[in-house]
Amino acid sequence: MNAPSKAPFKARAKAALADPVLKTAIDRTTGNAERKRAAAVAAFPEFEAARARGKAIKDHVVAHLDHYLEMFERNAAARGAQVHWAADDAEARAIVTRICLAADARLVTRAKSMLGEEIGLPHALADAGIERVETDLAEHIIQLAGEAPSHIIWPAMHRTREQVAELFKTGHHPPPAAEDPATMVQSARTQLRTKFLSADIGISGANFLVADTGATCTVTNEGNAELTTTPPRIHIVTAGIEKLVPSTAHAFALLRLLVRSATGGEMTQYTTFHAGPKRPGDADGPEEMHIVLVDNGRTKMLADEFREMLRCIRCGACMNHCVVYRQIGGHAYGGTYPGPMGSVLTPVLDGLAASRDLPNACTMNGRCAEVCPVGIPLPTLLRAWRRRSWREGLEPGSIRTGIGLWAQLARRPRLYRLATRIGLPLLRLFGRGGWISRLPLAGGWTDHRDLPRPAAQSFMDQYRAQQKGRK
Amino acid sequence: MTARDRILSAIRTALGPGKPPAQIAAEAAALLDPAGIARPHLVAPVLPDAFALKATALGTTIDRVASMADLPQAMARYLDAHGLPPRFAMQPAPELAALDWQGLAPHQGTAPDEPTALGLALCGIAESGSLVIHSGPDNPILMSFLPLHHVAVLRESTLLPYLEDYAARLSAQAVPRNAILITGPSGTTDIEGSYVRGAHGPGFLHVILIADAGTEPG
Ligand code: SF4
Repeated sequence: MNAPSKAPFKARAKAALADPVLKTAIDRTTGNAERKRAAAVAAFPEFEAARARGKAIKDHVVAHLDHYLEMFERNAAARGAQVHWAADDAEARAIVTRICLAADARLVTRAKSMLGEEIGLPHALADAGIERVETDLAEHIIQLAGEAPSHIIWPAMHRTREQVAELFKTGHHPPPAAEDPATMVQSARTQLRTKFLSADIGISGANFLVADTGATCTVTNEGNAELTTTPPRIHIVTAGIEKLVPSTAHAFALLRLLVRSATGGEMTQYTTFHAGPKRPGDADGPEEMHIVLVDNGRTKMLADEFREMLRCIRCGACMNHCVVYRQIGGHAYGGTYPGPMGSVLTPVLDGLAASRDLPNACTMNGRCAEVCPVGIPLPTLLRAWRRRSWREGLEPGSIRTGIGLWAQLARRPRLYRLATRIGLPLLRLFGRGGWISRLPLAGGWTDHRDLPRPAAQSFMDQYRAQQKGRK
Repeated sequence: MTARDRILSAIRTALGPGKPPAQIAAEAAALLDPAGIARPHLVAPVLPDAFALKATALGTTIDRVASMADLPQAMARYLDAHGLPPRFAMQPAPELAALDWQGLAPHQGTAPDEPTALGLALCGIAESGSLVIHSGPDNPILMSFLPLHHVAVLRESTLLPYLEDYAARLSAQAVPRNAILITGPSGTTDIEGSYVRGAHGPGFLHVILIADAGTEPG
């Protein structure tokens, strides 16, 4: 894991909320993503039916995961790829590092892969003394900044163009001639070109693992994946075991959902299938291809109530539409994956004790589940973590006492009504223009949120009065 | 126990007894049954028009010519329009080499900063305006990625309606090492979401569409 900060979630969220530049950066990207996705879905009237199909395909694969893993392994091996299995992140890191060291690799190029982040590949390569060059433009930006991704599709979305210009000014030789995005992209193109061509190993992830051909499939818009995987002597793919699909046609059915949900496009510019190393006579391509299949908590999810999360195709729509993510950005979450999907995954990856604040930060407005292209009931899964956190006694004493008191009251209707009758007028004293923005002892809530000023009478009292009036 | 055994046995414990492979295959096939496949409609009644509309919407430029013999002229037109030198990298394919390139100077091998390259697309997909290329002895993949201008020759007779049609074709023949669907020029939105072309791959994608087929409805 490479969380940017070890501070508790609440402190990170508070810092993020106090950062106006961050807010601007988040708004620009997520607002755009939301609009473009809506347009793409509107232009594809069969989207709902496609979504039902996509969900069914992923459920089918998950229900026969062992079958498809073995089929993929067989077919990938038949094409000359070497398939490795890693039960957890440490095993995955060890496998990749071993391949790099055995090949005497000095320079490794990498095409963006969230799984690579999940297993801590950047640190592992650094520890092994291997130069790592991130080739995706956003990953290049955050590598210069020494940061972790803050979004699974736009890892550098927390950086404004002015900040990127600062990074390129010191990180590029020569620095870009101007600060507009086009000039800066051109500068990155020139900087990375020689790296692509002189790398010993190229590492990529996979959006799909195609069982019946043994191919891995990667989608990108920049073309950096092909430049990463073609010139070096060795190509390594790291992929989660949930990435399987039965065939290329199944991958396409999911691709239609993935691209529209992620960027609002219809197809990524490059959709590339890799099946083994260079063949005899091939004009180019790597001499070795390694595929590392990574479990890292996925079989645990398969065995419990989080199985549905294995459908996730990592499109990022849930975070683009999340009111919490849009306020605090990705780094505040502290895990590899931010937003709603991250709040479900981080407790699996980092343990619930370290991450119980994430499921609690959800407002349960349900937008994430509405836009999820494979119908993952994210709020339900987040509630499952809350229940587990309560069962395992991870909630702090003050909350347990508070909820305990409330439970005592709630079980005694007369007492409850009495309490609300006394409490409501008091609460109303703090209201200004319909909202309460400051409340003693409740700063945890009101520092960053307003509470609607309650009605003068409780619902029960209003109801009674009305009933009386009718008689 | 190896990691492989541990992972597979954890899966089997979670899932319980598996179904026979034939039944799994039947279920997988049912998920592709055409009646239930939801896919976008083609944007024009004939494939070349549908392809061209989709491709141009993504920033690809298109030049429609009658036959392969018109290719050198079409190439000269493109180079001229963009002020590019007459030297360009050309895919080592016999049918390209056989043409009369007149005043142009095609060469083999792609330099890291090659301005232009010309290659053949294996087929096109009308649904998405995508070109398909496969790696092979006469098709270096880098040729489609290093240059700033990628010019691709596409025969109308190779156009397929949907992505699934290409998938069917792929499973019917030997899968190449690298199969790539190219849909528009390289681009990025990584800096504040503003779209910039030519991130790493070609900033310009030009398709010379050869009318070698009747235009039957797709
Ligand atoms: S949970 Fe759904 S919306 Fe979120 S990234 Fe995964 S597939 Fe996309």
